[in-house]
Amino acid sequence: MLLPRFDFHDPASVQEALDLKKTYRENARILAGGTDLLVHLKKDLVSVEHLISVTKIDELLKIEEKGGDITIGACVTMASLAASGLIGEKLPALKQGAQSLGNHLIRNKATIGGNACNASPAGDTLCALLIYDAAVILQNSEGAREVPVSDFFVGPGKSCINDDELLTGFRIAVPPAGSGADYIQLGKRKSSEINVVNVASYIEIDPANQNILNARIALGSVAPTPIRGAKAEQVLAGKTADDTVFFEAAEAARRDDCKPIDDFRGTAGYRQAMIGVLTRRTLAAALAQAQGK
Amino acid sequence: MKDFDVIRTRAHRLDTPDKATGKAVYVDDIDKPGMLYGALLQSPHAHANIISIDTSKAEALPGVKAVVTSKEAGSIKYGVSPARYDETVFAIDKVRYVGDEIAAVAAISLEIAQKAVALIEVEYEILPAVFTIEDAMKDGAPQLHEDFPKNLCAEVHHEFGDVEKALAESDIVKTTTVKNKRQDGACIEMQGCIAEFDRRGTLTLVSGTQVPHYVQRTVAMVLGMDIGKVRVKKPYVGAGFGIKASANPMELACCILARETNKPVKMNYTRDQVFKLARARHGFTHTITTGAKKDGTLMALKHECWLDGGAYSSFGIATVYYAGSLLGGPYKLPNMKYDGYRVYNNKPTCGAQRGHGAVIARATFEQQLDMIAGDLGMDPLELRVKNMMEAGDTTCNDLNMSSFGMAECIDAVRNGSGWDEKKGKMPNGKGIGMACGFFVSGAGYPIYRSDTYHGTVIVKLTEDGGTALVYTASAEIGQGSDTAFAMIAAEALGIPLENVRLESGDTDMGVDLGAYSSRQTLMTGHATKEAAEHAKAQVLEVLSGLLNVPVEEMDIKNGFIEFKNETPDITDIRTRYIKEHRGWIDNPDSEKLTFKEASRMAFLEKGSIVGTGKYKPHLLGGKFKGAAVGTSPAYGCSAQVAEVSVDVETGQITIERITDAHDCGKAINMTSVEGQMEGSVSMGIGEAMHEEVMFDDKGNVLNNDLAEYKIVTSMDMPQVDAVVVESDEPNGPFGAKEVGEGAIMPTIPAILNAVYDAIGVRVFELPLTPERVYWAIQEYQKKAG
Repeated sequence: MLLPRFDFHDPASVQEALDLKKTYRENARILAGGTDLLVHLKKDLVSVEHLISVTKIDELLKIEEKGGDITIGACVTMASLAASGLIGEKLPALKQGAQSLGNHLIRNKATIGGNACNASPAGDTLCALLIYDAAVILQNSEGAREVPVSDFFVGPGKSCINDDELLTGFRIAVPPAGSGADYIQLGKRKSSEINVVNVASYIEIDPANQNILNARIALGSVAPTPIRGAKAEQVLAGKTADDTVFFEAAEAARRDDCKPIDDFRGTAGYRQAMIGVLTRRTLAAALAQAQGK
Repeated sequence: MKDFDVIRTRAHRLDTPDKATGKAVYVDDIDKPGMLYGALLQSPHAHANIISIDTSKAEALPGVKAVVTSKEAGSIKYGVSPARYDETVFAIDKVRYVGDEIAAVAAISLEIAQKAVALIEVEYEILPAVFTIEDAMKDGAPQLHEDFPKNLCAEVHHEFGDVEKALAESDIVKTTTVKNKRQDGACIEMQGCIAEFDRRGTLTLVSGTQVPHYVQRTVAMVLGMDIGKVRVKKPYVGAGFGIKASANPMELACCILARETNKPVKMNYTRDQVFKLARARHGFTHTITTGAKKDGTLMALKHECWLDGGAYSSFGIATVYYAGSLLGGPYKLPNMKYDGYRVYNNKPTCGAQRGHGAVIARATFEQQLDMIAGDLGMDPLELRVKNMMEAGDTTCNDLNMSSFGMAECIDAVRNGSGWDEKKGKMPNGKGIGMACGFFVSGAGYPIYRSDTYHGTVIVKLTEDGGTALVYTASAEIGQGSDTAFAMIAAEALGIPLENVRLESGDTDMGVDLGAYSSRQTLMTGHATKEAAEHAKAQVLEVLSGLLNVPVEEMDIKNGFIEFKNETPDITDIRTRYIKEHRGWIDNPDSEKLTFKEASRMAFLEKGSIVGTGKYKPHLLGGKFKGAAVGTSPAYGCSAQVAEVSVDVETGQITIERITDAHDCGKAINMTSVEGQMEGSVSMGIGEAMHEEVMFDDKGNVLNNDLAEYKIVTSMDMPQVDAVVVESDEPNGPFGAKEVGEGAIMPTIPAILNAVYDAIGVRVFELPLTPERVYWAIQEYQKKAG
């Protein structure tokens, strides 16, 4: 359980970090909170020659609202996200995700960029990023590009980030009035948990007739990456929001959208059943929020 | 009620300043000049013959100082019970589980030591392995130990009374089977040690252990040394729970490396190695049949138990006995039959953990009592009241309850939880359940057969007379024993607690069997009390001569000498005392003669005043084979009520509240008693709800860290209302007895019974993960249609 030997870099700006990334490419790993990477290094699950720490770069620590968008720097910690009034008010499911991750100590270190780059199917903020349709901002020394978060995850622990790129943040359009979102994670205990299943739902309704204008559902721990519940979303499209349609959507999510496996944290059968329960519950909570309840 | 000045208070613990400021020294905080670092080579295979070991590449690595295998360690077998010494320090010809020790390296850094371990080449012949009781018992199954056919490590067959006859006479007979999973103690401090030889050949082993005494004996035996040449010292220890209650292979390897290199060597287990060593709660499968009369009178208990033991015996012989014998109480049960079996397999070795052997038996039985109460239409609490034992009762297997506040405990949780208002009146999804239990207050006999004292203590008064020094070899492992013994010494001497200093955990200070079987408060407490009284008697004897007052007319209280009759003139003594301390500013000016003055006079007359104390239990009952396991000078008892809510759609259980009452005899330190009760509840909840060591099909632990092995977090802990019930234990020092283990007994069954009350579903397998509860509910609903 000793850390292996590596060279440690502590750049003060994004540019400096990108220069380092360009030089060392696949031989370098980005270190943010370290709550996953340092554990993997100690367990000898990953090897690395260079660690580039990005936690001292001020521009990666900001949460800002500008022109209808909220941008969140990659190094914003779970604790800061959970404490942010802006996130709590406008992106409540993301706050819930941040609050659910690990425990107090881990939330003080773990970052949202790290949670995304670790690309665990069970990642606590990832379902929220999916339902808010976040854009992932990736930079290299040449410039920046944006990738929809639904395209970002490629497999367990894998994303579409290139060797010379740094994830600098996320851009999320502020949800309109008449929308609501919710996140629920389910584990064996109430803290320090690695999820057995986790679900987030977003819903936008026409206040005049309760018709669903837009719905997004994200399912965690039931596929190689966090996924959107496409079939469940189709069930909801254009319908009037009520318990019956939510039940149908939950059935679609359970039956058609998720592809869970058996592992030591839980069986596929239980995960599938819980996708149904949590989809229904998150939709109901999201609707209540959309209705201003 | 007796009048006490120090005990029965909420004194601050002696270790609080060290621990609160982070200054407490644990093994890993210690460095020695020239110290080397050791690392172990452990088997990657669950079962294999060792064909050859080549250490040459490891030895050639710069910085490596020694590589040792069974060649250096020898073939002396050790273990816990001399009846089953089945381990050697390093595997000689075969490895029996993933983690079995093969070799060790000492090097100038841990990094080099680990690199060297990786350079040791071992040729294995892989053998088929068995991981379950069923597979291990099959005809033709691979054998772990030649002398134990069918991999049967131990079996016990006991019958008291006539069970078949009593079952035939019963109106209701209920049979259930309950299965738990292997636990891990999850001590926050992982085991570590430093071994060092001095130039005269004396070995000092500093180790994070619960039992310096047993470690000393094992080290001496395995290394072929005189016991007097082996000193074992324990710094602060971050918990034990039974897992650190015997010598571990790392301690022995470390001593051998220190001998080979003639340098101090430090070794630590990683968390993964802690899971490999294990020695924690066994996996149990209990099948229990209970018979009762229509009015609820318990008639008989028939009990069969299978223990998933792992590769070696460890405490297993005692475990398989305890699993049966500790169902003898706390209810009047005239007929009891027990058949217990412990089976070897190619997994890590199970041993003793808080509530040794008895926790799952208790859970099975207490759940069944609720089922019987349900069938009889009785309040389960009333069923227990009807059958409970009282002080003075003896169980059918000869356990004598010399004090027993069971009725008070049940009353306390009944009132404290609002049982009568809640039972049967809670909404669907919410439930309330209760259970009782009892436990030994120290094993009646040492682990090795001997007439030894179980504890010796020295109390020495400082020459100025002001301070008492207590020397005990007992083990403070976080439970608060140092504070308890300082309080007992202060009480017995009649001086304030701040005038007592205490040193413990060092085999040079005497004999003490250590912190296991909830023995120290009663046993070390007795020896401490006797030593303090011995010192006090010597002071009073000198004073008697000086003042011409008979000893029996004097006493010491709160640091002052009390005279029963007329107070004599103390001027001579005071003048003499003050003359010797010219220039001192703290000379006594009280009206009463101080203990300090009296004790100084005693020193001037006799030299060092040293009081000695000792304890061993009186002859305890039971002549049958195995009667020694379960006997104790006293028994603590407890009752608990759990309140839960169950999410029937997900299977998630929330424990809302625990009301807990425990009879600990006289409480030495009230706060520490509550701490032990709350700690027991926390461990019980973990076992009930989510703890489970899991393996892959090759015998590797899957969840070998505290992220995936799920102990209770602060967020899972409910409110615990701990009610201390104080009986007066005739065999305890100042009437005190155990609290460390008895308090865990009712937790799991109280939760099981509360879950049933909430949703009408009985669960017979632990832990109660959301998934297991979910499927149980599904099955129940399917049956119900």
